[in-house]
Formats: sequence, structure tokens, C-alpha cells
Amino acid sequence: MYYINAISSISHQPTFNNDGFSKHIEPLGENSEIIKPIYKEYINPKVLRRMGNLIRMSVASSSECITKVDADVDAIIVGTGLGCLTDTVKFLTNFIQIEGLIPPTSFIQSTHNTIAGQISLNFKNNGYNTTYTQNTLSFELAIEDAMMCLDEGMDNVLVGGADEFIPFLDEFKKQLDFNNLKLTSAVTFLVLSKHKTTQTIAKISDCQMIFNANDKTDDFGSFLLKNNLEIDEIDTVNYSTPILNRKLNQSFKKGVDISSLAGVYPTNSAFGLHLAVDEIQTGKSKKIIIYNNLSQSKLGLTLIENI
Amino acid sequence: MKIYITGTGIVSGIGNSINETYNALLTEKTGLTQKEYPNLNRSFYTASVSLSNSQLAKSCNCKNEKISRSSLLGLKAAIECWGENQIHPNIKTGIISGTSVGGMDRSEIFYRSHLANEPANFNDLMFHDSGSVIEKVADHLNITDYINTISTACSSSSNAIMHGARLIKAGKLDRVLVGGVDALSEFTISGFKSLMIYNDELITPFDKDRNGLNLGEGAGFLLLESEASIAKTGNKILAEVSGYHNSSDAHHQTATSPTAIGATLALNGAIKNANLKIEDIDYINSHGTGTGNNDLTESVAYTNVFKENIPPFSSTKAYTGHTLAASGAIEAIFCILSLNNNVIFPNLNHKNSIPETNLTPVTTVTKDVNLTHILTNALGFGGNCTALIISKVK
Repeated sequence: MYYINAISSISHQPTFNNDGFSKHIEPLGENSEIIKPIYKEYINPKVLRRMGNLIRMSVASSSECITKVDADVDAIIVGTGLGCLTDTVKFLTNFIQIEGLIPPTSFIQSTHNTIAGQISLNFKNNGYNTTYTQNTLSFELAIEDAMMCLDEGMDNVLVGGADEFIPFLDEFKKQLDFNNLKLTSAVTFLVLSKHKTTQTIAKISDCQMIFNANDKTDDFGSFLLKNNLEIDEIDTVNYSTPILNRKLNQSFKKGVDISSLAGVYPTNSAFGLHLAVDEIQTGKSKKIIIYNNLSQSKLGLTLIENI
Repeated sequence: MKIYITGTGIVSGIGNSINETYNALLTEKTGLTQKEYPNLNRSFYTASVSLSNSQLAKSCNCKNEKISRSSLLGLKAAIECWGENQIHPNIKTGIISGTSVGGMDRSEIFYRSHLANEPANFNDLMFHDSGSVIEKVADHLNITDYINTISTACSSSSNAIMHGARLIKAGKLDRVLVGGVDALSEFTISGFKSLMIYNDELITPFDKDRNGLNLGEGAGFLLLESEASIAKTGNKILAEVSGYHNSSDAHHQTATSPTAIGATLALNGAIKNANLKIEDIDYINSHGTGTGNNDLTESVAYTNVFKENIPPFSSTKAYTGHTLAASGAIEAIFCILSLNNNVIFPNLNHKNSIPETNLTPVTTVTKDVNLTHILTNALGFGGNCTALIISKVK
């Protein structure tokens, strides 16, 4: 079994250290901002000063998880679609524009695995450490690996999804005629455990990815069948975007649009998972599927159940 | 369960195929040359692949040469590795690649124009997303069951090999192409320069006077298969992945720990995973980048693990340069060439041993050695340490 023993997000919603947040959240307004914790309560101020924004968010969020479970984790696994964009663009700009010596900090922090690396540094964790980056399925790939780690004998795994917005993405969106959704940043981390404890909130029953999702209705049907479920047994489907398969979306008992609540970023299914866990924790739902259809050609399906 | 290697494909500064690579390794032909980088106003020692983007595209039968160079390099190596294999409805097939900067070569072109307020092609940025690099390769080979990109800096493709092996063991895949790609970019050259670890001269791994790294570019892929898959494909077995382990050093974002905590855990873990004893390891293909920090940490790790009986070891980075995320897969392929030809490829440019550990690598092509188990390891930014054991199949 794959028990969720802690989960934490930093997002546009009051998700951080706030169980039950799902009861009163509304779609993002035009001027909505990320609700940030007081970082120095979670990160040594000396280290904090040098950290990029996405790394701060990830270290603080993973800290909240580790504090809740009060146990060492055997592995740290991160999924990120675009990695540490702020530092990447900063270093790109610096080396193109500055002649002579340039500071290395943004180069160091531009690497995708800075996130997982900084988390391991923060907890002095010598365990398995890896980072997946397969655009909109990066988070599901991380979850799948976390489940494999537990199958192989590990007890607790810290796994998360993290992505960062830079203003340039809005310009990029305009130029390439992407649809008009709010692009943003957010992180979600959780501790997946082999053991059911007093901390256990929910469980992940299945996580599947389809890399050539030509018929999402069919793929969804196969996923239900594989898990011996009928569509009416699913209380809620948290989907990434309602645009792509309106017909299928209408067949859900209740559908929640993740992007309208959290904004768009490659790993926003991780927010969808936190929302599902919170709804289960507050007793509103028993079975929820995270339906990640952010990319037209790919599909991520994650089944969350109560315990 | 055994994980067999039944295909290899490679492109780097020392050759555009397995055969060219093997000949270069035997004749001590380095790919490192001094090359002018006009945008950076100076020259650097780098090992670049001899084919241009359009030559790569043509040789891969790829219609779009405007995709990133990383994708083109990946295609070249993956096509050689895949060979005559076919997609089969009853063989679950995946692809996993490691990359550190993905399509940065195209992002650089975009940003130079964009920052100079010149017209820039926003389509160039479509390759910035690291995952897109391998999607182009997967598309070309029609691989759809599983596609993943690992980005753990210099250990990325070692982790891709490890992850592929685990997915087969877990029954999620029957066969999987695993490897890594990184094209040379001004971004990475400038990055290592800013860290003051880019050597102005040719690199000298494991030398007392080592003074940093030289970068290279390339791609390497291995085809991993289960026994059941081989029963259907009939592929010839080249070697097996017999052990693997990944650990975090948790010491510093870029530097490795002086006591080699992460590297030691990775080496011991891989030996244990393979059910071997330390004396079973016949040779180590080292990470050996040529930086003061890396080579010392690695030799401390060898001392920690093997005590007085350190097996012969060498770094082949002075041939290929440091190919970053591709290096783990490229060096795993060198291990297969070593195993099947009973030869150890030398650590070029070595003069004096590191005084702290006094270890001397193999410095000449050594033939007729009996090799059964080879250890290869990679140490990356973020403290990411991965060790693999590649073994001969009798």
C-alpha cells in the first residue's frame, strides 16, 4: 500500500499548513498571488538568502511534510516540467551580456536537480535522490518511482512536483497563441509511506501514464476497469483543463478544474492531488481521480482513496 | 531477475559509431581540440561531434534539422542502438534519457537575438523543455509505452540506466532504451568557467596538477531487455547490468564531500545490489573529470571501499571531454567494449599521482586482461552519486 502520511503545498490557495483548505477556495482572480509562508521559520536564514524562489518554496514545503511525519525519508524524488527558470534565464542573460567574470550562483541553481539536492542538504539526507522532467507528466513519473521505491522495500519517500513562472512565459504564450490561462508557480510535496500510522490521511491506489493518449475516454475507461471501478463510484475527478474533452468531463459525477484554482504549470496535477487528499481528509469524498490532461497527447491518471 | 544489454549506440568527439569509438579508444585518439568560440571571444578545449546539425539530421533521416542539437545527437545514438528492432505489440518498450541542459543550444540562439532587440524566433524556445529532447527520439522510433527524462546533472544517464533496469524488474517494461544526451553549449562552457573549473589546457584526470575539466558533447544509448523480451526479439546479449545504487552526498550544492560520503554509499550499494564482493570488481571506469575536488573525492571513495586492494581504474574523460548528462551512458558503453574485448582504456595525460591518496590510474591501453565485472560511477551537482556494475554474461 502507498499511504500519504503528510502533504504540503505552496500555491495561490491557502494550502500551506492549513488542513481543510479545500472547504473554502475559489477560482483565481486576476491579481491573485502565491501565499508564501515565513521562510525563515523553515530555512536557515544564511542559506535562505542565496536560494532561488522555487528552491525556497520546495524546501519549506518539504520541511512541513518531514515535520509532520517525524521520520527520516529513504528517498527524495522531484518532478519538474521546466526546472529553475529564473536562475536559468539569469545565467543566460549574464553570460551573453557580461564580459569577463560572472558570478556562478545562477549557473549552479539553474540545474533541475538543485531542488532535490537542496532538500537533501537541508535534511542531511544521504538516500536515493532523483529528478524527472517530462513536461506535463513529470509529477506522475515521480509518483510512480516513489511507489516503486516502497515496493522495493523503502519505508518513507518524499516526493514532489515543483514549477516556476517567469514573466517571460507570458510573452512566449502570446507569441505562440497558447490559450489564455494564468501561468504561475507552485510546489507540492508529500510523504508516501509503506506504513499506515496515526498521521495517514489517504492512499494512492494507482498512478498510470499514457504517452500517446489518442482516445482519452477509452484510456479513462480502461483505468476504471483495471481498478474494478464504475464511474459513479468516483466522487470527484480533478482535471487539469476542461477544454480538451468536454464530453468526457460531463460524465463525471463532480469535476474540479485544477487550473482555475491553481493556475497553469507543468506539474499542477500535484496541486490536484493535494486538493483530493484534503477533500478526503475532511470527509467530503472517498475516491478521487486526478485526471492530468494538460497536454493534448498525454494523460496522467492517479487514484486517491480514503483509508 | 537479470537485466541484459542487447544494443549500444554512441556519438561523441571520438566517433560517430561504436566502431569508430572503439578504434579511437584503442589508438589513444582524443576528441579534445582547441576551438574558437567567437560569441565568448576566446577559444576553449572542447570535444565536439564532427557532424553538423544538417549532417546529423540527414544521417538520421530526420526531416527537421531545426530541432535541438541534443535531439539530433540523441537520435544518432538511439538509432544505432535500436538497430533492426521493431515495435512489437507484446513487448512493452520505453525510452529514458538523461540531459542537463536539453535544447539550450536553441535557447541561446533565441536569447542572443532577443536581448539584442533583433527579431527572434520563438519556436526556438520549444526545445528548451528538457523532456522535448527525448520526445523527438521516441517519435522517430515509435516508442510510446513509456517516455521519461532524468535530470540529475552529471549522473543523469547513469540514473537512466538504473531506472530502466528497475522498471524491467518491476514488470512495468520488457525492454527500454536508456541513455543520455548533451550538446555543447555556451551556457555550460560559461557556467563551468564561472565556477573557475574550466581547464585552459587539456585535462589531466587523477593527476597531482589537475586543473579542471574540458567539456564535450555526445549521446549514448543502451538497449536493456528482460529474458522474456529476448526470447521474442532473439537479440544477442552483449553484457548485463548487474548492480546499481544512487545516493546523495548532502554536503554542498556543487562540491563533493572530502570524506566521499555519497560516492562511498553508491559504490558499496552497487556492489551489494549485484551480490558481489569487493574483490570481484576487475576494473573501474571512473568519473574522473579532472577537477581538484572530484578526483580527490573519488579516490577517497575507492580507498574507503576497497582499502588496500583498489582495482585498476581510469577516467576516459581526456578522450571525450566531460559530456555531462551523457557521460554515464557513454562510459557504460566503454565498459561493455572493455568486457567484450578484454581491454582497459587508459587515463590519458597522467603524470603524477594525487599525493593525498597516492593512487595511479591505468595509463596505457592494457590488453588481454580478464574482465568479468566492471564498476562505473558518476558524481553530479546536487551531490548526486550513482554507481553501476556492468558484467560479462558467460
